[in-house]
Amino acid sequence: MSKIPLGPFHPALEEPYKIEVTCTGETITDAEITVGFNFRGIEWLAERKNYTQGIALLERVCGICSNVHTMMFCRAVESIGAIEVPERAKYIRVVMAEAERLHSHLLWAGVACNLIGFETLFMTCFSLREQVMDVLEGISGNRVNYAMNRPGGVNRDITDPASVLAAIRTIADVTTKQLIPVLTTDPTVRARCAGVGILTREDAIAYGAVGPMARASGIDIDLRKSAPYEAYDQLSFDVPVRQEGDVFARIVIRALEILESCKLIEQAIEMMPVGPIAGGLFPTVPEGEACVRIEAPRGEVIYYMASNGTDMPARVRVRTPTFANMPTARVMALGQGLSDLALIQASIDPCYSCTDR
Amino acid sequence: MDVNALLLELNPQGAYELRRDGYWLVWPEVDVRAMARLMRSREVRLATMTGTPAADGSLRVIYHWDVGAYLLNVETTATDGRLATIADILPAADWIEREIRDYYATEFVGRETTAPLMLRDTDAPGLFSRTSDVGHQTDPAETSRTTLATKDGESR
Repeated sequence: MSKIPLGPFHPALEEPYKIEVTCTGETITDAEITVGFNFRGIEWLAERKNYTQGIALLERVCGICSNVHTMMFCRAVESIGAIEVPERAKYIRVVMAEAERLHSHLLWAGVACNLIGFETLFMTCFSLREQVMDVLEGISGNRVNYAMNRPGGVNRDITDPASVLAAIRTIADVTTKQLIPVLTTDPTVRARCAGVGILTREDAIAYGAVGPMARASGIDIDLRKSAPYEAYDQLSFDVPVRQEGDVFARIVIRALEILESCKLIEQAIEMMPVGPIAGGLFPTVPEGEACVRIEAPRGEVIYYMASNGTDMPARVRVRTPTFANMPTARVMALGQGLSDLALIQASIDPCYSCTDR
Repeated sequence: MDVNALLLELNPQGAYELRRDGYWLVWPEVDVRAMARLMRSREVRLATMTGTPAADGSLRVIYHWDVGAYLLNVETTATDGRLATIADILPAADWIEREIRDYYATEFVGRETTAPLMLRDTDAPGLFSRTSDVGHQTDPAETSRTTLATKDGESR
């Protein structure tokens, strides 16, 4: 029996965290995960910033789904203050959220292709991702922290919808013709990923798995369908679900979700009504509390916010998808070969910056 | 999922309040372990738990359950800073309980060990409680980590 630590700093890890596996021969018999290396005390800080500062702070929770966190912060304020969002702003929020999902899924697909050994497909994914980044930059003026959301609406309109549509149609076309066929039918991908790192439906529920992780284990949950927010109840899309619970199922789910996001952006751009994109001045937040959630690229994000009526929140709690998904790595790794560990971890699409906050 | 049947089974006398963001129930005497066992048997996912200080200095702990279109938020209080663990029933609670201990020094009774999640092994639990009066200065520069380090007497 041997213990093998991986991390917290390792060339194969983009962010610091640690997993220590116990092996008998090449087989993993136990795994212990250590996080907290990126702990920044963002919840603590959020209780010491006013609401305007809080938006900028929470945008820094994650470098990929930064828009999600400002949207959540604003939605929590809107829930406490019963603030209505203009219809056009709801559609703009959908476009931003789905573009961010494309960004996240394409980044992940590229990393997965690299791990499997498909260097050319890795380049294709990153090329598509670059186009999504251009879309996000074209709308918001920024490539990482978009500063799009405000309580009661959004800060910027979509002024060039044609360029957004053109980019999204290119992404959908390449995804359909190149990415999905390889990721879903290639024998090498299937041989490397099918049957590896299985998360059963029962374990997925017990561990509280969310997003593509849960949907790859047969759990049909997606807040955009089950608890629609913004303009999702006006749009048509499918939620891919697989029963296998293995790495391959997670790959297929995310690949198919890329196309669904393209569909959603196209519809949102075409159906977007004319009108205002935000209310007036920054609202006063009354005393109260709210717990809101949305479907981020990696799964459900939850924000709890309490207000005591001042210009600073009394409590901000952030539960990110990786916080819920990462503990499943232990059950998925048990009984697997050591060489499968990197693939299993990557199949979670983990974000430790989000997890540690 | 029949949410009404679940709510009745969980607490037939419960004064559930349906708000814009879900069902809320204040239930100080809740048996959290019985609640966790019921939820597990009904395949209800523990979305998360939130610890938040109450005005009297105690800690409110809210269990957020995913019941489909809504969250079911059950609120109790950590009496004397202690609450029964549910991590052995629902592993989803393991990291959450450890994090609440990190921030508020709440002891989850029944756990074999409660290792820090966000803090270091040598850190005392209750970071948020210990620093509750720190960092509220109007000058944002005063909210920096150096203030914390000065208070704790150690480098961070």
